[in-house]
Amino acid sequence: MKPLWIKNIKQIEEIELIELARGGDRKALAELVKMYEQTVYNFSYKICRHKDRAEHTMQETFLSMVKNIHQFSGESKLSTWLYRVVANHCLMLARSENKYGFTSLDDEEALIDEKNIADWKVTPDKVTENNELKNMLDEAIQKLAPEYRIVFTLRDVEGLSTEETAKIVELSVPAVKSRLHRARAFLRNELNERFKS
Amino acid sequence: MNGHTHTPSCKDVMAHICDNLGEELDSPKCIEIKAHLENCENCRHYFKSVETTIEFYKKYNVTISEDAHNKLIEFLGLKE
Repeated sequence: MKPLWIKNIKQIEEIELIELARGGDRKALAELVKMYEQTVYNFSYKICRHKDRAEHTMQETFLSMVKNIHQFSGESKLSTWLYRVVANHCLMLARSENKYGFTSLDDEEALIDEKNIADWKVTPDKVTENNELKNMLDEAIQKLAPEYRIVFTLRDVEGLSTEETAKIVELSVPAVKSRLHRARAFLRNELNERFKS
Repeated sequence: MNGHTHTPSCKDVMAHICDNLGEELDSPKCIEIKAHLENCENCRHYFKSVETTIEFYKKYNVTISEDAHNKLIEFLGLKE
């Protein structure tokens, strides 16, 4: 019986490639890498905020895929598995370096200041071409502990559901929602300092 | 901002926005929140700023370079 997540031709193609790769087919492995390298690199970059670290994380993620593909059951999407490897690797890197002082988000109440509201006169266009804005976004998200950054990126940026995010980070849905709430409020506050006119 | 007497309060609404943005909810609480947003400019600004924050990060994407792709394939021993 087909796993429940299979819904379209691309996913059928993926499951066939996984079957071939499990049998040791190197071409199928290379195809799977090509299929997911952009997603993995982009997600790694969004968590690490550093080109070399993102490339290193991408390499380690696919190395893990190549080594462990024979254990992949196909019950969940390959992307779910890859996101989990990236998230764990980035957490491990952040903990081993431990050089960033992340802002504490323990006080959820303090994150929402009703008096500090402004009408932002900005539109989120052309982010990629605007280096000043990119630096601003990097600075803000780098203050956020990786545990929060991962949840925010999976749920809001990559557009996964709360349930899928919970599965990837191995947390309960309420715990994901709590982290998401704090991350959204925190990032909004950081950018508010820049955009309130 | 707190001059009106709507329930829930602005702080409740802002917390609800951070909790539930992106979820399709039709609970009585959500209906109250929507009604509050229609009447409270300040909360609408807050809602828009949270949405804009998310949009900024959504649109900030990077593309893998050809060099990084080649290094990856070589690292994995998958070069033809």
